Amino acid sequence: MELLECKVLSKEFDNKPILKNINLKIPRGKIIGLLGKNGTGKSTLIKLINDLLTPTSGEVLINGEKPGVNSKKIIAYLPERTYLDKNMTIRQVIKYFEEFYDNFNSKKAIKLLKDLDLEIDKKLTKMSKGMQEKVQLILVMSREAELYILDEPLGGVDPATREYILNTILSNFNEGASVIISTHLIADIERILDEVIFIDNGEIILTSSADELRNKESASIDEIFRRYFKC
Amino acid sequence: MLGKLLKYDLKWTYKLLIIFYLLAVFFAITGRILTDIENSFILNIIGEICIGVTIAMIVNIIINSLMRSWVRFTRNLYKDESYLTHTLPVSKNTIYMSKILSGIISIFTSCITIVICLLICYYTKENIESLKSSLQIVANTYDSTIFSLLLTLANTVFLEILFILFVGYLGIIVGHKSNNKKIIKSIIYSYVFYIATNGITLLGIYIWGIFNSDIMNLFNTVSAPNINIIKHILYGGMALYVIYIISYYFIGKKQFEKGVNVD
Repeated sequence: MELLECKVLSKEFDNKPILKNINLKIPRGKIIGLLGKNGTGKSTLIKLINDLLTPTSGEVLINGEKPGVNSKKIIAYLPERTYLDKNMTIRQVIKYFEEFYDNFNSKKAIKLLKDLDLEIDKKLTKMSKGMQEKVQLILVMSREAELYILDEPLGGVDPATREYILNTILSNFNEGASVIISTHLIADIERILDEVIFIDNGEIILTSSADELRNKESASIDEIFRRYFKC
Repeated sequence: MLGKLLKYDLKWTYKLLIIFYLLAVFFAITGRILTDIENSFILNIIGEICIGVTIAMIVNIIINSLMRSWVRFTRNLYKDESYLTHTLPVSKNTIYMSKILSGIISIFTSCITIVICLLICYYTKENIESLKSSLQIVANTYDSTIFSLLLTLANTVFLEILFILFVGYLGIIVGHKSNNKKIIKSIIYSYVFYIATNGITLLGIYIWGIFNSDIMNLFNTVSAPNINIIKHILYGGMALYVIYIISYYFIGKKQFEKGVNVD
């Protein structure tokens, strides 16, 4: 059984198609890049997988089940926005995650937060947006999930932070789990990808192993991406 | 999981409400103490002002209980925080139930606080006796006791507020099914549901009036209605509120379980 499967999945907003007949299978133990320009449907697809949007047609199956309590137990999702109650302190947020997620490793989270020199009793509202995003990333990566879905984790951050984010992802995801990283900043992540999915105008235009694609096209994923998405 | 969700919902709701509760009680006590002081015109005036502030706080508590419940519902289920709420390993039904319960609990505690404030402000032996004698006449007419009469009135007011709360919840759910101007649409839907439900009630009473001339007099004359009719309407109103609240709860639940489209 596939970890994640999308069957003829479509989403429309006001009769305008955003995703068109997506068929997709995500295996276990892979790092997959969901690549496409801004506004091509990456976030919509991710929201559908996470039950934040309702499909117009088709279905999403996680371990053979529709999104629900069981799928949410095994998916760790990092959205592109800050989603925590900003009046909470980091300690309160950790407690919140501990209470709701059985697979949340609070010791790991505290260690990672201390590495960042973050005061655990500081309110989120007193932190910069960048710091809040790092806290969120740490919380998500501290879950021992089967599937990590990271929506634009590198968007709008400086190169040093990008390095930190990538290292955090690589050194913390659960063994045997899959990671889906949605981004348009290919150069930064291409070294860690096992598979790539190109999405454009709400359609999947390419799925391939990253190595096979590089060998076939004799170019880096970044160059191939630029060719595919030339304006 | 419901208990955990409810704990966080209530924490958020009471963070501000508790301040209003304390302020209302504080002004009620201060007002009462100052108005009870004899031979001090200035202090009595200040006391009356404090009681005025208490009444304003009471209105504020009711409005805030409703508003905070709706704001929590919207933020948690459709705005940024929804990205966390909807990805918790909790069923949609549990999430919905937690919001409903936190709304009901906050309205209930607000009503209790209001009663306490009013008692602090106005409780005297003379006031109670005067209230008792007035209510006794009505209670005798209804073949009831003062206690059950007060309970009926309190229940009706409580149910009316709960009805408004549930209409708001359903309006938010339906309003957020569209893709733009969600807040405005939520307000419009809530208003339409409220008016439509009251319209249906009025229509029901009119139809009842076709078979009961006393009821029809409510529509045809300006004279005071028969006291027995008021009793029927009071009990009927309570029954209707319960029916509406349960109906709105299930409609909202069904709509919510169909899925959301967060911003």
